[in-house]
Amino acid sequence: MKRLTLVLVAAAALFLSHAQAQRVNLLCSPDLAWCEALGPAFTEATGIPLEFIRVSSQDALARIRAESANPVFDVWFGGTGDPHLIAMRDGVAEMYIPSTWDDIIPELKSVINEEYIPLYAGAIGFVINEEALGDLPLPRSWRDLTDPMYRGLIAMPDPTSSGTAYTTLATLLQVFGEEDGWELVEGIHMNVAQYTSSGSAPGQLAGRGEVAIAIQFMHDGVKFAAQGFPLTVFAPEEGVGYEIGGISLIANAPNRDAAIAFIEWALTPEAQAIAGELGDSYQIQSNMNTVQHPLAPNFDEINLIEYDFDRWGDPAVRDQVLTRWLNDVFAIPR
Amino acid sequence: MAVTTPTTPSRTGNGMGLRFSGAWLPALVAIVTYLTLPFGRPGRPFLTIEPDLYALALGAPLLWIVLLGAVASFVVSLLRLNTAVRGDVLIATGTVGLGAGVLWFILSATPFGIGALLTLAALALVLGHALSESGRIQGDAFIATSILVVSLFVILFIIYPLFTVLRAAVIIDGSFDLSQLRRTLTHPLFFFLDNPRSQIDEIGLTLRWGMVVAVLTGAWAVFRRRSVPVVALRLVLGGIAGLIIGVLLYGRGALPTSLLTVAIVAPTCTLLGLAFALLGQRARFKPIRRSLDVISVLPIITPPFILAFAMIFLLGRRGIVTHGLFDMSTNWIYGIPGVAIAQILAFTPIAYLLLRGSISSLNPALEEAAQTLGAGPWTTMRTITWPLVRPGLAAAFLLSMIESLADFGNPIILGGDRNYLATEVYLSLTGRFNPNEAAAYGVVLLALVLGAFFIQRLWLGGGSFVTVTGKPSSGALAPIPRVLEIGLTLVLFVWTVFVAALYISIVVGSFAQLWGVNYTFTTRHYEDFMRAGWPVFLYTARVAAISAVPAMLLGFLVAYLVSRHRFFGRRFVEFGSLLSFATPGTVMGVAYIFAFNTGPWLLTASATIIILALVFRNMPVAIRAAVAGLAQIDPSLEEASTMLRARSLTTLRRVLFPLLVNTLVTGLIFAFVSAMTAVSQVIFLVSPGNQLATVLLLGWVEQGQLGRAAAMGTILIVSMLFTILVVLGLAQRISARVVRVEG
Repeated sequence: MKRLTLVLVAAAALFLSHAQAQRVNLLCSPDLAWCEALGPAFTEATGIPLEFIRVSSQDALARIRAESANPVFDVWFGGTGDPHLIAMRDGVAEMYIPSTWDDIIPELKSVINEEYIPLYAGAIGFVINEEALGDLPLPRSWRDLTDPMYRGLIAMPDPTSSGTAYTTLATLLQVFGEEDGWELVEGIHMNVAQYTSSGSAPGQLAGRGEVAIAIQFMHDGVKFAAQGFPLTVFAPEEGVGYEIGGISLIANAPNRDAAIAFIEWALTPEAQAIAGELGDSYQIQSNMNTVQHPLAPNFDEINLIEYDFDRWGDPAVRDQVLTRWLNDVFAIPR
Repeated sequence: MAVTTPTTPSRTGNGMGLRFSGAWLPALVAIVTYLTLPFGRPGRPFLTIEPDLYALALGAPLLWIVLLGAVASFVVSLLRLNTAVRGDVLIATGTVGLGAGVLWFILSATPFGIGALLTLAALALVLGHALSESGRIQGDAFIATSILVVSLFVILFIIYPLFTVLRAAVIIDGSFDLSQLRRTLTHPLFFFLDNPRSQIDEIGLTLRWGMVVAVLTGAWAVFRRRSVPVVALRLVLGGIAGLIIGVLLYGRGALPTSLLTVAIVAPTCTLLGLAFALLGQRARFKPIRRSLDVISVLPIITPPFILAFAMIFLLGRRGIVTHGLFDMSTNWIYGIPGVAIAQILAFTPIAYLLLRGSISSLNPALEEAAQTLGAGPWTTMRTITWPLVRPGLAAAFLLSMIESLADFGNPIILGGDRNYLATEVYLSLTGRFNPNEAAAYGVVLLALVLGAFFIQRLWLGGGSFVTVTGKPSSGALAPIPRVLEIGLTLVLFVWTVFVAALYISIVVGSFAQLWGVNYTFTTRHYEDFMRAGWPVFLYTARVAAISAVPAMLLGFLVAYLVSRHRFFGRRFVEFGSLLSFATPGTVMGVAYIFAFNTGPWLLTASATIIILALVFRNMPVAIRAAVAGLAQIDPSLEEASTMLRARSLTTLRRVLFPLLVNTLVTGLIFAFVSAMTAVSQVIFLVSPGNQLATVLLLGWVEQGQLGRAAAMGTILIVSMLFTILVVLGLAQRISARVVRVEG
């Protein structure tokens, strides 16, 4: 019995987790390659270790909300802007003004009312595998996508988990107005083969020919084309919405000092250049001193809509749109 | 020396006439840890010593009672009293101490610290000694403590988490509220039949199915000249069955989709499992058995969704077979067909393993008798073999059904335009972040699984799941009919070719520049894996190894208690292990998040919670292995040891352990391997620095990093195969030698 007691004590001791030293726990929403490149570069620059988990932006928001009583993460890096805005308004993230604030492209700050820190910008577009399209004509506009001949040939992310897809919905509702917009969303839904949970996955499905058309951010399409997939990337005629990706400090972050060090670092031109150089990510970076990657889509050549971030980033509007999509669109069998 | 107690003649204490109670040591440990170690902890880290969180500093009245209980236990255990009476007093003091501690945690919701953990564990040991010495549990202190600890574990780590799921489904913001449950169950994502947008009339078609089946079954009853009430009953039952078929075929939403998939997968897996078991046991062509052995370990070493994504490359729109060979361009594998095929591939070997046991335990003498009496192979098969394997078939059917319902990796990759119950649990928690909705789906899944268990028990008339074992018997086996053997061999051949093609395509994919587009050779994905996946892989191996040991020990303990002892709460322990085995992984994962995110049990975002989840997930595997092993050992060996005055721990260690080394090592390895390839139960539990290989792998697949995912899949499969074949082989050879030397 004595020995058993000792064994139990030893077992209990083995069961314990280690005490944690100061490090950055990163919730990372952009492309995996970018997330992976961040850690080594940051640790080299500051000596602070970094651990990350890649989670789509919508899932990330859910997770931050769920853990708000006992936060696990310190910084939320990237992902579409609306969830960042909601996190700020909910108080689960806190606004931190970095020392590089004045170097951030003024337009990016002003359209989002300076409510969170802009990290990058990217526009929605079509990513098309012409070979998989076969004899079918190239879709040029949003309206073309509702044509039944594209049935089973479209992939887009799931709006309930991906910010990319929400930006797409918001774009359609802004370009065509509420009524026509929803009709169009339904029409596209009838042709969708698969909703993916990650925002960048559809282009990859198109690249391998599992579908022909992917609706997603153009910079992701550019990335897949650069990897060797037979893809063309362009913006539909009626105009496209865009995202302003954010970087946010989690409220009550367990490693607040390290988190601030990371945010400061992540907004420097050197850190932002990592996106294109190592991270397969070709968004427009937010620091105006950052040398933009040659593959990054040029916003001057794209018909960008006047995206109303204040309205479409509003949590109530967002919930309303997602609930309506879930109940009235997603539920329609294809 | 021995003094019998006149007051309690009906009860004789164990360890009668001891001068001191054995409880003195754990009581002392309780006092020391209470005084020297912090009772609470400030946040997640365990090993921080925070002066404010010492029990004495906290100064709560309940905590004084804990100390009082421990000190009283210590003093009483040293008193020279009648053993049984002293035991009763110790039960009181131990219970008071333990109860006060637990109550304080529940009321104050402070995360427990290391001191509390040790103090309360020591008090549980006091209670174990007390229960044994008082004679309230028949057995020595070890048995009593084990029963106590196992029951506590079952409550804490199985029943309580599941209870939190039930609670989350009906209690919203602190008040009882059925609206979420109702909203979930009436939502089109869950179930709907009438679809105004479709060309067909779903309700009409469903009704037609009901009518047709009712008429058919009624007509059959009339044809068999049954009485009028029987005919009427058949008519009604047939109508219900027909309606169910109609709903499954035309209904949409997670419920009919999951059930239709089950209706395809479970019978197919069972039949294929039976075919392979028959072949393995009775084929005239020997190499078949060897290939079956390999097939049977494949699903254990393969993360469940790996085959699904290999299937895309063989059978997808641009699949090598579908597009390359037949020049088709269809999305047919996205949806029920693809999910069903992937599940059949993954779960048939499990059904095979179960049925192999029941086929090999058939007594060949019965079949020989039938044949001596002139029955042909077909008649023997129909009248002797079939009825005897029916319980095995029911078990295999049930298991494939549970696996299919719980499966989450395959639908998430191949689900297409259909949604499934298990994926809805995941999506509603992570995507829509609606814990109550996730809980509602969890409750539905749990109800389906437990309902199936209940029906099976009714049908087979009891028999505990723990104690079902197969003991191979010798004798000349009746060969199966030649036509059947050729047919089955053909099925096996097709199966083997298909599975081999899938595995080969994973390996090929891991070396291809861009899987599906550019097949130039590259080692880039392995370099990526080494950079991004290797640390996670090592971490996973460590966590899996740590979890395997308690899983195996606990499984062995439960098996030993349940099969060798009769005690109060035995059925409860059995039921608990059944629950942990039957509960779908995603539901258990959600349950752990609910149960261990706040309050005393703040365990989320730690390795501990992952290890706990894996321990209680894999414990049933170890239980079954140990029960099967114990069944082969004659209890008289233990009785002899007990007669010679060995305590039960000594008997366990000196008699049973050496005889069971083989079984235990096997259980250990399988617990390790299943922990390595588990996904659904741990997907919610990973956190930065506590990332697991399979979860990362699923993320890579979702992100489209297929080359790298294939590389990790290949390494996972190869290393697990190595573990099973080489390590297990080696361990068994060594243990055989040990047994020979000792014996």
